[in-house]
Amino acid sequence: MSFSDEIIQILASFCGSLGFGFLFNIRGKKLLFAALGGLLSWLLFLVLGLSPASEAVRYFLVAAALTLYSEIMARVLKTPTTTFCIVSLIPMVPGSALYYSMAAAINSDLTDFIDRAYYTLELTIALSLGIVLVTGCVKYINAFIKRKSDRQKA
Amino acid sequence: MEIAYQMIEVGAEIHRVEDSVTRICHAYGVKRTDVYATTSNIIVSVEDTDGSVLTQTRKIKHIGTDIERLDRLNDLVRGITRDAPEVSVIHERLEQIDKTKSYPLWITIPIHAMIAGAFCMFFGGRRAGEILAAVLIGLFVGFLAKTVETLKINKLLSRFLCSLLACLSAYLCLKLGFIHTVSNVIIGNIMLLIPGVGLTNALRDLFAGDIITGILRFIEALLLALMVAMGYVLAAFMLGGAL
Repeated sequence: MSFSDEIIQILASFCGSLGFGFLFNIRGKKLLFAALGGLLSWLLFLVLGLSPASEAVRYFLVAAALTLYSEIMARVLKTPTTTFCIVSLIPMVPGSALYYSMAAAINSDLTDFIDRAYYTLELTIALSLGIVLVTGCVKYINAFIKRKSDRQKA
Repeated sequence: MEIAYQMIEVGAEIHRVEDSVTRICHAYGVKRTDVYATTSNIIVSVEDTDGSVLTQTRKIKHIGTDIERLDRLNDLVRGITRDAPEVSVIHERLEQIDKTKSYPLWITIPIHAMIAGAFCMFFGGRRAGEILAAVLIGLFVGFLAKTVETLKINKLLSRFLCSLLACLSAYLCLKLGFIHTVSNVIIGNIMLLIPGVGLTNALRDLFAGDIITGILRFIEALLLALMVAMGYVLAAFMLGGAL
């Protein structure tokens, strides 16, 4: 894959996320930052590609990082985290993996189908684990900070 | 109750809904609140300070994603927990929120085209013909999605139809010689139809401990994905099936 391919991918991920931002009725500044999240997610995925980590691990790391981004942006712009979380991770949705598993199923290539379906599932699980890990941590930290400030008041 | 109903309708996470209801009831000095919510119904039971118990149930009919409304509902909940305003004030605000506008059609339909084109390029479509085909079919899918929405037919069936027609037109482009391979064009458009968000939300609910909701969402996403796949399979069989 040449360098220009990657630039096209990054730009395309921005446009794709921006589009879904429109469909989910996100407005104003939030829309821009949500789409930026989409760009960042793919950029990070490509950068992580330089390391020997497997794709599932990269998916996991990207999901975790982007959820953190969403949590931060949500606090800055005072809006639910979902706003950024859903849209930022749109480029990570394994659409092509699903397509190729279906194509394999049509060609009645069972081994290929199972391989690809398993791969799709693996990516999805990695993605959601990344999200859950960070949301869980943030919730815990929030509760911790709240308890501390409550104690100081008392 | 109405707030919780609207929140689920616009695609809020379940724990956000349960949390909001509990906090609202707390703000009005209720002794004990139990909320149980899934994507298809909500049950709220409150015990007042004098010991009387009130229970209400709501069935949820339609689910979508509308972040702007969710955002405003969230603000409302925050306001309520802070100042506990009069009920009439809340009703007024809710009515306003219910009227929140979505983007108009002349934006959303071209947006479908843009998404399809972007993801066609994203997954390796580089020839101008491929991208153009993806954009045109995206436009078509956007139009179609809107039409079936107004017709109010079964969600699964409508997803199947969209997928079938999108894939058929992709194969048609192949037959007419506009494009050399269908895969990138179809993938670009599948991204529009695929329940990726649903699947991710489902797994997130599961891992976060909302097992029932997680399973409901998971099955729904799975069925929708299956419908998209069926549409594609049927189109592939109808027009040659050479992949």
